[in-house]
This record gives sequence, C-alpha cells and structure tokens, in this order.
Amino acid sequence: MSDKKIKNIFSKGAISPLFIADSISKHSSKTNIGGHSIFMGQVRKDEIDGKLVAAIEYTAYEELALNKMHEIREEIFNKYPLSCMHIHHSLGTIKAGELCLFVFTSSAHRKPAIDACTEVVERIKAELPIWGKEIFENDTHQWKENI
Amino acid sequence: MEIEVISFGKIAEFIPQQKISLSNVSNTDELKVYLEKDFPALAGIKYKLALNKNIVQSTLNLNNNDVIAIMPPFSGG
Repeated sequence: MSDKKIKNIFSKGAISPLFIADSISKHSSKTNIGGHSIFMGQVRKDEIDGKLVAAIEYTAYEELALNKMHEIREEIFNKYPLSCMHIHHSLGTIKAGELCLFVFTSSAHRKPAIDACTEVVERIKAELPIWGKEIFENDTHQWKENI
Repeated sequence: MEIEVISFGKIAEFIPQQKISLSNVSNTDELKVYLEKDFPALAGIKYKLALNKNIVQSTLNLNNNDVIAIMPPFSGG
C-alpha cells in the first residue's frame, strides 16, 4: 500500500450534490460491496454575537495535509476491511448551505464502512492542517474553531 | 542562517511570509522564543510548527534554508 500515489482530496469551491450522486452510482458495478457510509459536511449559518455566517473560506497547507491524509488512509485501510474510500474537501469560499466535505466508505458489510467513515471524519478535523474563516454577512470575519 | 517563515489561518494576518536571518537560534524551541518576542501576538495563542513540511513534535535542529510553517489549531471539515 505504501507505494500508492498520494491522492488529492482538495478541490476549489463547494462539492456538488450531483458529484456525490455520480460517485454513488459509480459503485453499482462493484458487486462485492454490501454497505456504504457517507458523511457530508455542510456550512452552517451560525449566529455569533448577532452576526450571521454567510460563508466559510477554507485554506490549507496542502502538501502537509495530503501527506497526512495519505498516512490516515493507509492506517484506515489496515484497520478496516474496506472496498474503497473517497474523500473530498473544499478550498476557497463555500456559502452557508453548501457542502464542504464528502467522505464515502464502502465495505462488504455495514459495520466497517460506518466505523471507518466516522473515524476518518474525526481525524480530518483533528489532524489535517486546514483552516476555516467564517465570513459574516457584514463582511467581518472570525476564524472557525473545531469542537 | 536564513530560514523562510510561512504562516496560516489567523496567524497569517500578522506574520506574512518572509525570510528571517537568525543568529543564536539553533532549534525550534529557541525559534519559538524568538518568534514570540518578535511577534507578541503569537505568544497568546496556541500554535504548532512544521519544519520542512513535517509537524514538529519535539524540538528539532534548524539548518540554513529551512522552511518553518506556523499553524494555529486546525479547523477543517
């Protein structure tokens, strides 16, 4: 596995629901799969001190993030019997209501897909050097903090 | 020696990308002290360093032309 090439998880702009639908439909030929698990992160219109979040602008230390994601991917594949795993994270400005993260895991039976999906989402949030700037409707901003 | 400093997130708002000439600084722990003195705003916040694209867990020696990244807590997803 370690000779596998490093995959890019980043793309500019929001993740389209059509892209997600297409990604699901591509798996219909993989008939050894019995369960998929999907997590989608959506930009929330939080209210902070009376101001509403209009969008989040994401930046990353891309090279470091992709190396780290590669490590996480290998660890997850060693830990769970997955058929496949796909990860997409947005960069740039994503408006409230749009999707910014898509994690998609598949396995023969449901449990590994569900557990791997949860673990990957948690690790992305904790370990990847990505930053979200919450832009308010009045053009001021604050830096997002993960809970 | 000369190192390059890059920063991210809220830290990029007060530490722009720059080259820094260092004397009497030989490792990342000493660099932190130097940076916090030069950029007092850094002293009050949580951050991690990366040396040549590797996150610094415990202090590492610095060499000429190293790239240091200053990173606030991550907030992806």
